[in-house]
Amino acid sequence: MTEVPMTPTLTQLIAPYHSVSIIGMCKNAGKTTVLNRLIEEAAQNGRLLALTSIGRDGEDKDLVTGTRKPGIAIPEGTLVATASDLILSHCDVTREILDTTGISTPMGQVVILRARSDGNIQLAGPSITAQLARLREDLFRFGADLVLIDGALSRKTLCSRKVTEATILCTGASYHKNIHTVVEDTAYHCQLLTLPETEDEAVRAWVQSMADFRGVAIFGGGEPRILPAGVELSEALRRSGGEARAVFFGGALSDFVLKPLLMSVAPLKGLTFLVRDSSKLLLKQDSFEKLLRRGVELRVLDNVNLVAVTVNPFSAYGFHFSKDELMERMAERVNLPVINVMEDKT
Amino acid sequence: MMELTFAQKENIGFQYILDSLHPNSPYGGERVRELRPFTPEEKPELQRQLGNIRRVLAGEEQCRKTLNQLLRVFMSLKMIRPTAVKCLETTLNEIELFELKRFLLKSQEMLPLFRELQAVFCLEGITLEDTEEALNILDPEGNRVATFYIADGYSQTLRTLRKEKRELEERLRRLPQGEEKETLQAQRARIAAEEELEEGKIRQALTQALRPHIHKVLHNMASIADLDLTVEKARLARKYGGTEPVFTEGRLSMENMVSPRIADLLTERGKTFTPVSITLEKGATVITGANMGGKSVALKTIALNILLTHCGFFPFATSAALPLFDAMYIISEDLESVDRGLSSFGGEMVRFNQVVERLPGQFAFILLDEFARGTNPDEGAAIVQAVTGYLNRQNAITVLATHYDNVATFGNAHYQVIGLKALDVDALRREIAALDGHAGVERISRHMNYGLYRVEGKQDCPRDALNICRLLGMKQEILDMVEKNYNI
Repeated sequence: MTEVPMTPTLTQLIAPYHSVSIIGMCKNAGKTTVLNRLIEEAAQNGRLLALTSIGRDGEDKDLVTGTRKPGIAIPEGTLVATASDLILSHCDVTREILDTTGISTPMGQVVILRARSDGNIQLAGPSITAQLARLREDLFRFGADLVLIDGALSRKTLCSRKVTEATILCTGASYHKNIHTVVEDTAYHCQLLTLPETEDEAVRAWVQSMADFRGVAIFGGGEPRILPAGVELSEALRRSGGEARAVFFGGALSDFVLKPLLMSVAPLKGLTFLVRDSSKLLLKQDSFEKLLRRGVELRVLDNVNLVAVTVNPFSAYGFHFSKDELMERMAERVNLPVINVMEDKT
Repeated sequence: MMELTFAQKENIGFQYILDSLHPNSPYGGERVRELRPFTPEEKPELQRQLGNIRRVLAGEEQCRKTLNQLLRVFMSLKMIRPTAVKCLETTLNEIELFELKRFLLKSQEMLPLFRELQAVFCLEGITLEDTEEALNILDPEGNRVATFYIADGYSQTLRTLRKEKRELEERLRRLPQGEEKETLQAQRARIAAEEELEEGKIRQALTQALRPHIHKVLHNMASIADLDLTVEKARLARKYGGTEPVFTEGRLSMENMVSPRIADLLTERGKTFTPVSITLEKGATVITGANMGGKSVALKTIALNILLTHCGFFPFATSAALPLFDAMYIISEDLESVDRGLSSFGGEMVRFNQVVERLPGQFAFILLDEFARGTNPDEGAAIVQAVTGYLNRQNAITVLATHYDNVATFGNAHYQVIGLKALDVDALRREIAALDGHAGVERISRHMNYGLYRVEGKQDCPRDALNICRLLGMKQEILDMVEKNYNI
């Protein structure tokens, strides 16, 4: 028998952490499977688990089958922070109410409970970073050893290190029927999520002092200069005569913003472009790569600590990829442990 | 009746006081938002509130530690009055029962602190009722833990159902996916539904049992609000020098009034506020003084402290005796809205007519700041003279600030801003000569005395405007001509 290098399980990968978020590239990427696996194994390992979610998936009906989504199955003792309406009408565990948080959601305020029996629950939590961080601390206060956050779809980037120490990205055949697209887009997202955090403390301090800044600021050679409305960034950079070292984008850095810059002859080599986090990067992959080829470094203020990518070779649309091919191609393109959700088990 | 617009409250510095209040509990916060002036008929309630501020100020030092402990509990309270009210009408859900239990637990925690404080303060009309019986309903085992759980002990049926459910769950945990598991899951779901039904019955019984205690809970919330706000009012009284007012039947006499907003602003700029003292009788009192002279500041300070008193604050003064008014009106050009499409003069007149319409049958306080300033001086003076004469005969106390001539003779008292009176103008002029224009203005305002003095008999022309011209270096030739005109 040849020795096969063992891929660690998800539970092993998150063992060092006390707060973990799970995010998905699309629906049916296997997020719930991963969540249920981690819940089950945390119970076996004697870790006191707390669950909450970032906002909530808009639909609670399954995309394909049209059936109501199953709740999340939890064992007795688990702590849950979810919206009061969901506790009162979609939760069949015997429960002890521990605290009301005052954090409101469209389904009532977030309430913390302790399950006093096994059962099913549904999650809806805060959608603001600061509230999530506060809630995480509340859960620790009630004795949680591991806080798992269900990062609802399209909320991929609210899971910076400010909220959770580690993040798992779920992807799979449901994302696209072409395996190449699934692999490339997933790899690109991993790259964005894990862009290095800036070490430019001057920029960081300035941004922190300008909490709601939505414009563009140029750093280098004296005080930061805010780009006046109507002035092209390329023009401002050309005029700065090589003194600029970094550009901070308070709003989104999109293809639209970038296009005139990439078409200009403005000197970009050696510049650093900064955004708050990768949710502000609305760039197609080719614009992103063009930017890198022009010698620009991209940095964020808060990044995500991605610890694993899970793949689900089965699509909710009725086809599936070869699991070995998907695993192999993904492992080639992402520099992270790749785990098949169907096979990950301790 | 004392309905001032937001702009007026802002303008006289009342909003600044509201913003300076930092109640510790959401109940106190609610009281701040509901603050309104008392009418003369509500004098007993007003006096109760003012008396309580005095009692807090007197006892505060002695029980600072206990008070702080109590305020810390206040800070941890959540607003659950809607839940308490709901309890009177319909069955509470478990989250609401949790909220109520937490409030009852906090009430028990506050009870000894409250009693200790009351022994010193002897506050009137503020009591905390013992609600332990209500707490026992939600915590029959006496665990006194701030969580809520419909315990098995509430009913035998519940105990049985939960036992069954638990046994099924234990079997389910060991079973692999399959038909047997699904059957058991369906069975468990049925029991969970029955459990919920039984819990509903228990919640209903708990709500009913709590109902007779809710009036005490609501009373306690009101007392917490009352004490919270009283402590904050006392803090402001200490900070800005407040005094307990004496109520009269007509005469108003306030010594050394302060406007905290203007005082804080001046402190920031390294200056000090000149306190305002004034005595007002029924009828019209005229305040005159040069521009730059602080007439408006005096008016705002008077209005602010009258309003504060009516809202149950200590006025910021060294002594205060005043009547309670049915209404308070402020007419001032900068507050009349230009956006209603009227000229500022027109707007002022419309407002004035409204006030005059409402005067019969009430005892009002009326304040006019530079009335009719927007029109030409000859007509303006004639209008203000007539208005002063009219208001002087009404059942109201009116204060007018004006720079028009010969208005004071139509009122019953005349005050003037001290201004540059009793100042060595020549010495100041030499000082200013070395400065440029703006620095000169700044220097004058520093020497300006914004206090008021009562003018007895015929007024002498204050000549502050002439003095300001002189200080700022107007040509001697022109100054001579001005002086000549004064003497005509």
